[in-house]
Amino acid sequence: MNHIVSVSNVSKNYNLGQVVVPALRGVSLDVAEGEFLAIAGPSGSGKTTLLNLVGCVDTPSSGTVTVDGKQTGLLGERELTRLRLHTIGFIFQSFNLVSVLSVLQNVELPLLLQRASTARERQRRVLELLDRVGIREYSKHRPSELSGGQRQRVAIARALVTRPKLVLADEPTANLDSVTGTNILNLMKELNQSEKTTFIFSTHDARVWAYASAVVRLADGQVQDRVSAEEAVRAGGLPVGRPA
Amino acid sequence: MRGYLDTLKVIVQIALRNLFASRLKTLIVGGIILFGSLLVVVGTALVDSVDASMSRSVIGSVAGHIQVYSAKSKDELTVMGGMNMESPDLTPIDDFAALRRTLLSVPNVNAVVPMGLSAAMVTAGNTVDVVLERLRDLARRKLAGEDVQAAYESEKDHVRQIVTVLSADMDNVRKIQNEKAISQEDVDAVAKAASAELWAGFDSDPYPALEFLENRIAPLASDADMLFLRYLGTDVDAFAKSFDRMRIVDGQPIPRGQRGFLFAKWVYEQQVKLKTALRLDRINDGISKRSKTIARSEELQRWIKQNTTEVKEIMLQLDGQKTASFRRLLQGELGSQENDVAKLLAEFFRVDDANFARRYHFFYDRLAPQLELYRVRVGDMLTIKSFTRTGYVQSVKLRVYGTFVFQGLEESHIAGELNLMDMVSFRELYGSLTPERAREVQEIKAMAGMKEVSREQAEAELFGKQDLGGAASVGSAQRPVDEAETALRSLAGRQQRVDRASQPYDPAQLEQGDVLNAAVIVRDPGRISQTIKDIEAAGAKAGIPLHAITWQKASGLVGQFVTMIRAVLYISVLIIFAVALVIINNALVMATLERMPEIGTLRAVGAQRRFLLSMLLVEALAVGVLFGSLGALLGAGIVGVIHAVGIPAANDILYFLFSGPRLHPSLSPANVIISLSIVLAVSAISSIYPGLLAMRVSPRQAMQSDD
Repeated sequence: MNHIVSVSNVSKNYNLGQVVVPALRGVSLDVAEGEFLAIAGPSGSGKTTLLNLVGCVDTPSSGTVTVDGKQTGLLGERELTRLRLHTIGFIFQSFNLVSVLSVLQNVELPLLLQRASTARERQRRVLELLDRVGIREYSKHRPSELSGGQRQRVAIARALVTRPKLVLADEPTANLDSVTGTNILNLMKELNQSEKTTFIFSTHDARVWAYASAVVRLADGQVQDRVSAEEAVRAGGLPVGRPA
Repeated sequence: MRGYLDTLKVIVQIALRNLFASRLKTLIVGGIILFGSLLVVVGTALVDSVDASMSRSVIGSVAGHIQVYSAKSKDELTVMGGMNMESPDLTPIDDFAALRRTLLSVPNVNAVVPMGLSAAMVTAGNTVDVVLERLRDLARRKLAGEDVQAAYESEKDHVRQIVTVLSADMDNVRKIQNEKAISQEDVDAVAKAASAELWAGFDSDPYPALEFLENRIAPLASDADMLFLRYLGTDVDAFAKSFDRMRIVDGQPIPRGQRGFLFAKWVYEQQVKLKTALRLDRINDGISKRSKTIARSEELQRWIKQNTTEVKEIMLQLDGQKTASFRRLLQGELGSQENDVAKLLAEFFRVDDANFARRYHFFYDRLAPQLELYRVRVGDMLTIKSFTRTGYVQSVKLRVYGTFVFQGLEESHIAGELNLMDMVSFRELYGSLTPERAREVQEIKAMAGMKEVSREQAEAELFGKQDLGGAASVGSAQRPVDEAETALRSLAGRQQRVDRASQPYDPAQLEQGDVLNAAVIVRDPGRISQTIKDIEAAGAKAGIPLHAITWQKASGLVGQFVTMIRAVLYISVLIIFAVALVIINNALVMATLERMPEIGTLRAVGAQRRFLLSMLLVEALAVGVLFGSLGALLGAGIVGVIHAVGIPAANDILYFLFSGPRLHPSLSPANVIISLSIVLAVSAISSIYPGLLAMRVSPRQAMQSDD
């Protein structure tokens, strides 16, 4: 089985003035293609840092991160950006749509940045995805005219529009009510199945784990364990000794 | 290519929508840019137009494109507009022919006009003197038996009328000021002139009385103001040819080879014309050309007041017949029973908006034909006295051939204050050593027994070679008295030579003598600075060290005026755009900071840094182009309106700058291009810092739950 992502003994330190704050301490993690991987852990456990490293928006202080066969620490700014554009899709906790563009334009944006397709091809792809996420009728709307769930659907469409190998979702359901959250998870799972796209999402919501192919639990910048979804749910979602 | 275009489209779209999203900020920034570009368009169009019109004025009136003068001169040359009335101290260039040859050897030089600038005080005839001279002449002819009785009586009446006017005038002054304002001697003199005794014996023996009147009374009529005249000595033909805006108004040009004087029409009107008439003209101009009203303009009211109080000027011109005629005319016009003409005149000149036009025409149609409107008439001889370069007084009597204007500059005193004189007479007044003068000086020296003594030998020559107390053997001490007398007679004879100044001269003399400066007309005005270098080089090569200066410099303060306005304009533009730069920069920085998560998102989903830079640049440029064009368009509209309406020249300085009564500025593409370039440059520059800021935004900014 190919590893789309391979994190090996990675540490990441942030300099806050004089103080060096370790965010990750010797994390190793392999993600196979087609996984629907949840990264769990409380605030400050290093979930987002790990996603940043995997998402190529940051590079490790030590250790190596390999994404789609490329070691990110060896890449320059522009190559990292290109890697993000072509290989990775992002779904953010607060959706992060471009407020001045319409739904359709938001979804089309990564394709435009790629400069690989014609207007017609883009149009078809965007509408197809909007259909898939169920908001085609809102294609002309501005994000501010949509509900939270609808916005996240737009974000999902945007993340998938370039057919990335990997989609990273940072707390995708945190800003949604539980019903909408469930719908979004169902959608993501369905796309994971149908498009064979690898999903990695961070969450500290125990209900989400049930959807994951596996749950990696982080605590204090270290991988606690890697368990199946059932185990994680049984364990109350938290690493050993931590009540919910 | 398509991809680039589509990306650009999305960049533009994002940029424009961002601008729209923060409308207020955009409008404020845009407003400043709009105002700035409007100012640039209107300002540069105006200044360019003034520059063009003024250069027409300066080049076309006196200066020519380039002025040259001797590099040895003490002062810098200015041909017009100097604040002090003194002419610059220039070292003459001895040989004009050589100068002309040298200048014409420069390819771009088309014509050369010799020049010299100076000024003189000139006494123009005193009315009383003129009247007394006529009376003396008539008395002589009457005594000789000619039949001039009627004219003689009228002239006698006129003199008595003058005495009456002076007497009344004196009483007035004494009343208004105090008893001592006028000396008792003058009071007595006027009383004597009015007395019956003086006139009783006049018919049989007029000469003692005339002498008394000429010596004691004429000086009291202080209407004989000195005229201060600035004049330009030149080759009048060449001048008229090179400065083709020159037009003769009255009289004729000075004929070739004749000495003569041409009044600048402006000087002629302002200084030589009857003051009352001049003030009426000014009031008329104020009403008809500058839409003033007597009721509201203090200036017009002041002139009217002066006209009503200073009727003496007219009264002195009226003899018995004219007094009667004026009385009849004025009584009829005013419907008055008043018999005192002075009071009638005062009443007549007390005009208001309702009756001014009628009275103005009445004055010129009915009264003026009986008056001498100008103290010096075309055809008169004018005696010009001037200090020569070496400091003695030289005078030349010249015929006044006429008056002239520069077309389009009729009402400008800057172009109108220079009168013209033939070059030969100018040299005479300037004290140049013309061949005949050199001969004359030689004669005087010979007669006075002078000899050249070198400085080294002067002591020995003057005080004897031995230092023993021997008698100094200076030749002149032993000259017989009669030879000194001959020398004096010769000096007196000079007066006659000066009178000969009205005789023709050989036109070749124009070429031979010296000049102070010369105007150069070039073929291609675009190459003036190169031509100046060429001229100075040619001068150096020919052994005539020359300074050549542009018309701007030659016209002194006037020429620098436009440079000054331009500087002020550019500085204000600079300030406005500096402010605009700061404001646009701040607005964009704020926009960038507000949009950090959005920019981070764009970076995260794969936008390169240059995408963001382009986005901000497009935002700045969009505002710049939109509002800059709007401003330029509005500016062009304003210039168009001003062009159609014209800016009236409110005073004579503006008249000169505008090269006419109205400035019709026109828009050149350069004005708009400059404006838009500045706007675009400012927009681009102001997006640099926010661009850098945006480029530093990390894609991590998109992840809000950063732990």
